[in-house]
Amino acid sequence: MNNEKVLIKGNYAIAQAAINAGCQCYFGYPITPQTEIGEYLSGKMQELGRGYVCAESELAAINMVIGAVSTGVKAMTSSSSCAVALMQEALSYACSDELPVVLVNVMRAGPGLGYIYPAQGDYNQSVYGGGNGDYKIIVLAPSTVQECIDYTYKAFYLAHKYRNPVILLADGLLGQMMEPACFGEYPYPEIDNSSWALTGAKNRISRAIYSCARDEKKQINHINHLFEKFELISKNETEWEEFEIDDAEIILTAFGSMTRNIKAAMKVLRNKGIKAGCFRPITLNPFPHKRIYELASKGKDFAVVEMNMGQMFKDVKYAVNGNSNVGLINRPVGEWLKVEEIVSAVEKIMEKDYAASI
Amino acid sequence: MEKNFILAGFGGQGILLAGTILANAFMLDDKNVTWYPCYGAEMRGGTVNCEVVVSDTEVSSVHKSNCDYALVLNQQSFDRFVKNVKSGGTIIANSTLVSESKPRDDIHYVFAPMGKLANELGTSKVTNVVSLGVLSSVIDFVSKDALKLAIEKVLGSKKKDLLPLNFKALESGSELIAKV
Repeated sequence: MNNEKVLIKGNYAIAQAAINAGCQCYFGYPITPQTEIGEYLSGKMQELGRGYVCAESELAAINMVIGAVSTGVKAMTSSSSCAVALMQEALSYACSDELPVVLVNVMRAGPGLGYIYPAQGDYNQSVYGGGNGDYKIIVLAPSTVQECIDYTYKAFYLAHKYRNPVILLADGLLGQMMEPACFGEYPYPEIDNSSWALTGAKNRISRAIYSCARDEKKQINHINHLFEKFELISKNETEWEEFEIDDAEIILTAFGSMTRNIKAAMKVLRNKGIKAGCFRPITLNPFPHKRIYELASKGKDFAVVEMNMGQMFKDVKYAVNGNSNVGLINRPVGEWLKVEEIVSAVEKIMEKDYAASI
Repeated sequence: MEKNFILAGFGGQGILLAGTILANAFMLDDKNVTWYPCYGAEMRGGTVNCEVVVSDTEVSSVHKSNCDYALVLNQQSFDRFVKNVKSGGTIIANSTLVSESKPRDDIHYVFAPMGKLANELGTSKVTNVVSLGVLSSVIDFVSKDALKLAIEKVLGSKKKDLLPLNFKALESGSELIAKV
């Protein structure tokens, strides 16, 4: 369809990719640094005769998405950190109701209102969730504008394939930057939702989607069913990238746009004679625990580089399970850790100073 | 090769647009490029900057601590970013609004009266495109043809009537240093 390279902002790329993926309805409320997504779709969705609602709040927006996807169509909302916090209850419901909700979170600084500069502080919010009960959201973390497109496509596909909410976890840096990217075509097959979607009960038995089981056994079976599904997702969809791992003594680990900085730092370290590698989880949930465990078992140390106080750090430590050392290189919010800062922090870690926090 | 640029000036001087044109030109020359704005509570009259990183391979990161080239259109931006130019790098300044001082001796300075030239062409609004012309005569890895195509791409069909003026601004800008 469209293999032309265009210079495009991350937010616009996500919005156009959602259109290409067949998103029929968008509901959202403006918040920096992702407002361009709603801005772009407000015009385009109307041109295409699709649905666009600027909701009265984020709470309304995510519940509108729940309503729309209940009918089997593709729908999404987008927001940023403190407003995604408002959506947590609905995500727990959507997961329990097995609804293909797609949520884009372009992270800004927290906690509380925080501010509009970029951060990666919503790792826990996305991966562990702020909703009630046992539930899991599929979380995809792109690192370039091209990947914003690729993983928006994948978000819609996975949401419908597994009937589970998906979060595309970007950040202010990705949302605001422009890079050359190709849209190509939506590469995934369409999923048939006719067995469960609420489309009117003419000529069939009526259906209901609800999130309440008064019978304890039924609820236990329901949760077990959800977790069998999560197991399957973990088996089929866990995705990561690794570079220069084979001879590496220390593996820099990051997610999202910070991946670029650790790749650059790795090159500098290699030039200095330090055997560094890179590891980047692409799906934060399911997390590549197994692969990290394998690498740790070979005695490779890890240095987790992230723009928060050490959220993914804990998952890496859990996966390493005491088999090697895990250091943390971080800053809470704001300017991304510079390549030079990462390099000098790794050198400190190599001298066994594992809390080389900047 | 990876080179990074900081473009800075007053809000309203068209800094983000100049950065967008430059980034498009690099893309048209088949290079990898990333454009990143300062964003936030910016307003007309305040300062604005954006970063453009161009690379033959994957662009490693934005938010770099220093730059190879700084293109500054006002005094505040000169004062702020002259510190950030790498040793051996170049700062290119609009001498219509920037006084010709050289606070460091390990970098190159290019002072060109971009605002004055833009006014002579009819409007100070094209100072940003004049500055790209100047830049194209300082660096040898962006072609004027690519910049022209990029201007066409960015202004699009809606502002076609502004193309001749902008092409002229680019052309005159590229000849400015030779004249100074």
